[in-house]
Amino acid sequence: MANKPQIRTNSSAIMAMIADEDTITGFLLAGVGNVDLRRKTNYLIVDSKTTVKQIEEAFKEFTSREDIAIVLISQYVANMIRFLVDSYNKPIPAILEIPSKDHPYDPAHDSVLSRVKYLFSAESVAGDRR
Amino acid sequence: MQISEDGNQSSNEIAGADHNILNLLDSMDNYLILVDSLSSSLRQGWLELASARYSMGASRVNSSLFDLKSHQLPNQDLDNAGTDTELPRFTLCKWTSSDEAKLEEDELLKNKSDNPPVQHQESEERKAEESGSPVTANNHAEKERFKSLSMFGTLVSPKLRATQSTFETALETLVEMSNLRASLLRAYDQVQKDRKTDE
Repeated sequence: MANKPQIRTNSSAIMAMIADEDTITGFLLAGVGNVDLRRKTNYLIVDSKTTVKQIEEAFKEFTSREDIAIVLISQYVANMIRFLVDSYNKPIPAILEIPSKDHPYDPAHDSVLSRVKYLFSAESVAGDRR
Repeated sequence: MQISEDGNQSSNEIAGADHNILNLLDSMDNYLILVDSLSSSLRQGWLELASARYSMGASRVNSSLFDLKSHQLPNQDLDNAGTDTELPRFTLCKWTSSDEAKLEEDELLKNKSDNPPVQHQESEERKAEESGSPVTANNHAEKERFKSLSMFGTLVSPKLRATQSTFETALETLVEMSNLRASLLRAYDQVQKDRKTDE
């Protein structure tokens, strides 16, 4: 019980996004953009000039904020920081990997689905038999 | 007698474990269906956005026009996790105004020292009252939609409006996916627990 992550009981929270320009433009049109008093946005636009370090910092910041319930991340961006995404195990904020224009969704790379795949894989079964 | 009782107990345990595995596989299947639906919405949205950019010009539809002034977003996710449940539940609160959101926040801050279940009930009652005036809510939603579109100018292409509508649908799918992800992770934890018990 002591090791279970605590679930926040906030009443309202926002969504954060780490994706390409078109995806973020679309979701901003849908009304999920937020800019706080320090002019910090709830999104990071990833383009050819964005470094892996910037993506890591944005991911760490969004997952540590109390007011964020869902973090949307394009799967190809998540692949750049796969170690960080796979080691994340809190229930909130929920991390959702989404496809992008140039990179279709691959369930094998999704952090949650790959765990399930491992659970039923031959190696995992063989490990139990030993 | 004892052997048959033990036999019954172990068969119940096996049935329970099978049930958990089926839950996990069902959740995973539903999650993949939602991902497929999301992919399809996003593809449509990107195509409409590209059409809007083509008709309005690339300089009128790009990230340099994003509003970086401090503003609270009109679409919020509510996290309804109460103290008596381990499963988080996400609900989309569409197109609330910044004033309404601030009012709700102030109310919640005021009531924070009181019982949490009461605070949840109060916000539900307010929503029930608000839903009694659908025309006002619709007008309000239209105003908020217009505000979001006004980032790209007053007169925008119908394709941009279509993009907004498509991404709103994608947003609803995302909230469903978040809920399904939570139940998928719960089912995964149950199956892992069963496996450790078997070992």
